[in-house]
Amino acid sequence: MRKYIEFARVQMQVHAAYSAWFWANTFSVLLRMLVIYFFWKAVYSSRTEIEGLHFDGMITYIIIAMFLQMFVSGVGRELAHTIKDGNVAIELMRPYHLITRLIAMDIGDKVVYFIRGALPLGLLAFVFMDITLPETWQGGVLFLFSAILGIWIGTFFDLLIAILAFWTINLWGLEVMKEAVISFFSGALVPLILFPEWFQTASLFLPFQAMVYVPVAIYTGILTGTEAWLAVGSQVVWAVLLFILLRVLWSFAMKKVTIFGG
Amino acid sequence: MIRYMKLYYLFCKQNLKVMMEYRMDFLLGVLSVMLQQFAGIFFVKIVFDHIHELNGWTFYEILFIYGIAATGRSIHHIFFDNLWTLGWQYIRPGKFDRLLIRPINPLFHFIADRLQQDGFGQLFIGIIVISTAMPHLDISWGVLEFAILVVMIIASGFIFVAINLFFATLSFWMVDSLPIVWTIFNLSDFARYPLTIYHKGIRYLLTWIIPYGFTAFYPAAYFIEGSGFEKLALLTPIIAVISCIAAYWFWNRGLRAFTSTGS
Repeated sequence: MRKYIEFARVQMQVHAAYSAWFWANTFSVLLRMLVIYFFWKAVYSSRTEIEGLHFDGMITYIIIAMFLQMFVSGVGRELAHTIKDGNVAIELMRPYHLITRLIAMDIGDKVVYFIRGALPLGLLAFVFMDITLPETWQGGVLFLFSAILGIWIGTFFDLLIAILAFWTINLWGLEVMKEAVISFFSGALVPLILFPEWFQTASLFLPFQAMVYVPVAIYTGILTGTEAWLAVGSQVVWAVLLFILLRVLWSFAMKKVTIFGG
Repeated sequence: MIRYMKLYYLFCKQNLKVMMEYRMDFLLGVLSVMLQQFAGIFFVKIVFDHIHELNGWTFYEILFIYGIAATGRSIHHIFFDNLWTLGWQYIRPGKFDRLLIRPINPLFHFIADRLQQDGFGQLFIGIIVISTAMPHLDISWGVLEFAILVVMIIASGFIFVAINLFFATLSFWMVDSLPIVWTIFNLSDFARYPLTIYHKGIRYLLTWIIPYGFTAFYPAAYFIEGSGFEKLALLTPIIAVISCIAAYWFWNRGLRAFTSTGS
């Protein structure tokens, strides 16, 4: 365990070293918030509610979802590149489990990003953009729990996709595709209740809505009471399922490595 | 000029051979970009299921703006994608020096080095979206309108190119300017919606400082009756030419200031 904590710590330091990307990222998030704000302002210029959501609720949903989505992807890219350039063979000989190491690094990444990126930007949004707090403190606590589950699901899904790098070299394409599917189905762009009926039913059977929609819907009070607990329950199922799936696919991929002789 | 065209043809042939070698990856790239664009359009569709117009703009008008942006960007994505890599793939590893000793224009060589297959997905989606939106606009499509549309799209593409080239050039001084290029590129997100929904300051920025407004909204507004921007829209090709000249001038300055990395 100690060595993995060390990996997380080193990753945090790496972050502090690349400040150019940090500022680029911060600035881009600010821009995105502006686009979102003006877009929804225009949408609500001629009406007061959509599917029971007022402007406050909608903008709160969209902004929180945007932040959460940033935590949903993980170190898939690192894994994919390790696989592509063949370093995975060396990594596998080292005295740690590669996946666990990557997850430790990912936690380091996310903690740093939460403190340096999401927290100040979130505060800014809170002050300037009519973002509201959850209605009840129970909702807030459940949101935190659900958000962590969502991030877990996203991280494992990310690694799962990255393993496909054993079979393709177009990592950029893979990444864009994954991002598109996630922002599409997870409810990161717009609450799923606005989607057509068939789409909502379909997404019930996919892991994506567990990444963003469920936690943010709990935050904004779209999901409450039993409904909320059921949704969190399905998150737990997905979290376990993806964990197992990753192990299976990984051991499967490991056989492929041996076949090619490293 | 003819020599350069011949050369570009040869570069293209090599690139195409590489593409065909990895056919699965080609498909994956095209498909992924199409999916990405589709997600954006679907988002607009969902929102318009609940509203009839956005600040006076109809669904098909928004779609049209979106289509022009996508098609214009595809020109940039297919032919000029290498601009993204100037810092980390050329200057940092010292590979840029290789281009400088060849007897052709280094910018030409640098751009011809790569043909980005993934951009074709963007092109397909863009064309599909434009042709879906076209019949719903209050305009009769003759040869002239069509020609103007093509010119507008090409101009849009070159504005994307010029902006990226301008900021990529900063790499000559700071080794890798990718974070800046990426941040500026994100500004183009604004251009996907009518600029009239934004604050005046943002509109001004996107019209006169970093002219992303001319990559989608203004050209589209030319074809939308009563948009009030028909005159400004006609500036699009001029803006494209000016941006390209400015970017190329800046590139040449960067080239002169360039001192290689390494020992």
